[in-house]
Amino acid sequence: MSEMEVLGIREIEAIKTNEKRLITFRLNDELIGVDITTVVKITMDIDITPVPKTKKYILGVMNLRGNIIPVVTLKKKLGLPEKVIPGRNMIIVVETDFGNIGLLVDKVEGALNVDPEDIQPPPMNSIGIDPEFIEGVVMITKEDEERELLTILNIKKIFRADNL
Amino acid sequence: MRMEFSDDMREILEEFLIEAEEILSNLDQDLIELENNPDDKDLLNKIFRGMHTLKGGAGFLNLTTIVEIAHKIEDIFNKLRNDEMTLTPEMMDVIFEGVDKLKEAIEMLKESDEIPDEEDVKELLEKLKAILEGSEIPQSDTFEKQPQQESSEEEEDFEFVEGVDEDIKKLILQYKGKDLGEILEELILLPPDERPPLEVVEKLEKLIVEGKDVKDLIKPKEKKEEPKQEAPPQVQQQKKPVKQEEKPKPPQKKKTEKKEEVIRVDVERVETLMNLVGELVLDRNRIVKLASSLETSCEDSDVIEELIDSITGMSRTVSDLQDAVMKLRMQPVKKIFSKFPRIVRDLAKRLNKKVNLVLEGEDTEIDRSILDKLEDPLIHLVRNAIDHGIEPPEERVAAGKPEEGTIKLSAYQEGDRIIISIEDDGRGINVEKVKKKAVEKGLITPEQAENMSDKEAFELLFMPGFSTADKVSEVSGRGVGMDVVASTIHALRGTIEVESEPGKGTKFIMKLPLTVAIIRTLMVGVNERIFAIPLYSVVEIVKYDPANVKKVGNFKSFMLRDEVYLLFSLGELFDIEDKPEKEFIVIVRVGEKNIAISVDELFGEEEIVIKPLGKLLEDVQGIAGATITGDGKVVLIVDTNSLINDKKTQLVGVL
Repeated sequence: MSEMEVLGIREIEAIKTNEKRLITFRLNDELIGVDITTVVKITMDIDITPVPKTKKYILGVMNLRGNIIPVVTLKKKLGLPEKVIPGRNMIIVVETDFGNIGLLVDKVEGALNVDPEDIQPPPMNSIGIDPEFIEGVVMITKEDEERELLTILNIKKIFRADNL
Repeated sequence: MRMEFSDDMREILEEFLIEAEEILSNLDQDLIELENNPDDKDLLNKIFRGMHTLKGGAGFLNLTTIVEIAHKIEDIFNKLRNDEMTLTPEMMDVIFEGVDKLKEAIEMLKESDEIPDEEDVKELLEKLKAILEGSEIPQSDTFEKQPQQESSEEEEDFEFVEGVDEDIKKLILQYKGKDLGEILEELILLPPDERPPLEVVEKLEKLIVEGKDVKDLIKPKEKKEEPKQEAPPQVQQQKKPVKQEEKPKPPQKKKTEKKEEVIRVDVERVETLMNLVGELVLDRNRIVKLASSLETSCEDSDVIEELIDSITGMSRTVSDLQDAVMKLRMQPVKKIFSKFPRIVRDLAKRLNKKVNLVLEGEDTEIDRSILDKLEDPLIHLVRNAIDHGIEPPEERVAAGKPEEGTIKLSAYQEGDRIIISIEDDGRGINVEKVKKKAVEKGLITPEQAENMSDKEAFELLFMPGFSTADKVSEVSGRGVGMDVVASTIHALRGTIEVESEPGKGTKFIMKLPLTVAIIRTLMVGVNERIFAIPLYSVVEIVKYDPANVKKVGNFKSFMLRDEVYLLFSLGELFDIEDKPEKEFIVIVRVGEKNIAISVDELFGEEEIVIKPLGKLLEDVQGIAGATITGDGKVVLIVDTNSLINDKKTQLVGVL
């Protein structure tokens, strides 16, 4: 058993099957991640039709393959300050109990694997997001060897009837 | 009582449920007709046959309590048709009770594979029995035998195919409703001395080995086998209980002599087809537009002419296709109208009123999804008419009216709208009473009441929390109704109006769209945004002229010819930024009132497919949905009724 682990075979296999794959993006300067299995589509900030008389964080509706889905300014929904970030925004479409919802984010960083064992419980109000909406945080090492905190959101919880 | 059905039995059960529902729904109407014509032999025979069929089917499925009730009612009608008994109103009530119980049982069976317990039907059976025994004519021969005959009679409902072994026949009759495997199990469980001889068990085993089952050895005596083949087998497995209502209408067809081919199709498939056709219609519209601009911008050429020709042809086919697909979803209003004779009868009886119900245009067809939602509002309005509208007989006679009141329920098509109206010849709506009530309830101020027209006063009936009945009556409920009726109709993109004359009667008129999916709209622009206003609510479009705009208190008004309309800009109604300069005024109809809405731009008429905004946005005021235009943009559809809602209370009596 321990020999196997020394050889490293079992260990690598185990990590592979357990690893959590995330889509990571930026909200202001923060690095945020969501479980890749909830993501339906990532698209450029296309035509969004504003919807009047609705909640402030709802930006409007967009056309996703012939279906109409709402687009939410994620920063507003999470109560984060809205800094103006240069460059084009992106929309990450996620699956929720309320159907597909588009999340407006600043910049999509890409996909990333993390080991669930490295995920820590959310610190109290670390970056100004209600801990209820956070699944956990994880320290990652970037290509330039710098370390950064990645906050993993719990999409299902953010879009639940009592949190709207 | 829980019932177990094997897969084979379930197939028979499905057929039975359809048949039973059809019989029972016809029964209500027949019974009411019978009340007026107690000697109608044809009718008596029809009801008798219906009950007999029901009993037979239920017997085959071993639905004991259903069999017992149906059997008793069948016996009663047998006596009636043989002139051994005469129908009295008391008997009628019991029979209705029995029919209700049967309906309830069928419903239970459909939903949870259960039938009422013996205990539940005991009282009813006693009553039915009392009728049977209380007849003036001593029990005739046929009836003496009836009780013992029960089991043998049921056997007659199916017969054995040729060549079935006598012993096996006996066993099947003994263990009715079980399949051969189950019978075998039963036999094995019996104590040895009661067990049939071994050779019988062997015969049974042989049959099972051969793959035979009860259904292979018997054939229903009546027309049960044919329909079985008609229904595509895959439907049963998918959705069981709901299915019955959703499928188009094979039951009626089954009865007609000529063999009509009917297939049952999943509603979802029709829905998908409808959506696809919707998309096709949009594409068609876009191509037609492109072609006409091509025609104007290019020089005449044969190719273009040919292109236009073929586009015209395609366009026509697409329209036909749209019609055809829409027809798939259409059902006659009869489906809900047929419930009313019974409702009216029961209510009239309870309230000691005499009411004659007239049904008109039962064959008018309307989209199934609209039809389904219409039932409750209609029931509510009819109840209201009987409870509040029709006066008690003495009062009617004193007022010089016929003793019997009349309620007319009618449906007809007018262009692309279906008009459904409920009319009574009762006392009419007392406008002053309505106003007074509304003031008392704080819905309007006394001044508003003073300035209000009758039509506007009737509109008050549809406001939440309004009820004119002095006492809360058991029948009409607690005033939670009328506003719900109105909002249901509005949700279907329909309108509801009231006409009433004191002493003469009241009429509720509902105008509903033929279909839910595709509507014609007027595209307007406000502050660079585009909105679609459903054309059915657009009354008129005129140029904006500042000279005709006046300020009235907090509101603006717009003068057109001799009429004065309240004026809003679409921007202000939607709380979006607004420019003071306007170009056009669209007069829209909101309930009983016409209102002027100013817009910046007009883009003309367009046929669109309504798409929902999704759960997150479903309760947004003023928006009915959205559509995707030819260039992929999303355009919001205006719901004028809910858009004005915020302002409605302030508006009452202003103009």
